[in-house]
Amino acid sequence: MKKNIFYLLVGCVALALLLIFWYSVELHISLFIELAFIVGIILIVAARTRVTDWIDDERDIKITEQATVRTMQIFWIIFALFSIGAVMELLHVPEFPRLPPSMHPPVILPPRLMGYIQLGLLCLMIFLYVGFRIYYAKKYGDFETDEE
Amino acid sequence: MHNLTQEHLAQAIGVNRQTILAIEKEKYIPSLDLAFKISRYFGVNIEEVFIFDEKTSTIQSLPESH
Repeated sequence: MKKNIFYLLVGCVALALLLIFWYSVELHISLFIELAFIVGIILIVAARTRVTDWIDDERDIKITEQATVRTMQIFWIIFALFSIGAVMELLHVPEFPRLPPSMHPPVILPPRLMGYIQLGLLCLMIFLYVGFRIYYAKKYGDFETDEE
Repeated sequence: MHNLTQEHLAQAIGVNRQTILAIEKEKYIPSLDLAFKISRYFGVNIEEVFIFDEKTSTIQSLPESH
């Protein structure tokens, strides 16, 4: 399989996952998209092993390593910030005597908001990785041209 | 000096053409393994293709090596 065919396949899988996600939301069945996501990843990994014109040389590996390390270095700090906030919410001790329902302190992180935050964190991680990958690719001469 | 394209050299030693270009442009410092592969390909000693910079402890390609 050629590299371009592989990219086309990845695009098709992403599009299919988007449609399944929408369908899953309509049906309120989260398991549907979760299973589809796993199948999609397996498909992509299986296709990746069949690409014949893919060369991962030492420079590519170095770019990937450095981009991954930098992404994790920044991401774990942001992730820890949100996690600390969530744990604070979990460890909230009710006051005694109990206050009437109308006087309860507002919920800082409701479950639905947690879902959005997780999605935001995932997007942030992807953006960080892509950004660092472009940075290191440029640093190690990926966008260089010659007179050949 | 060998009337060789970057693409041919890259294929011969198992790297991407962009890696050869990056080494030529001194954007990427090859590993000792890759440096040896390149010099073996040309049938010369590694010192004839690369120089070792003691200040930075890195190897650099000689300007006229390609």
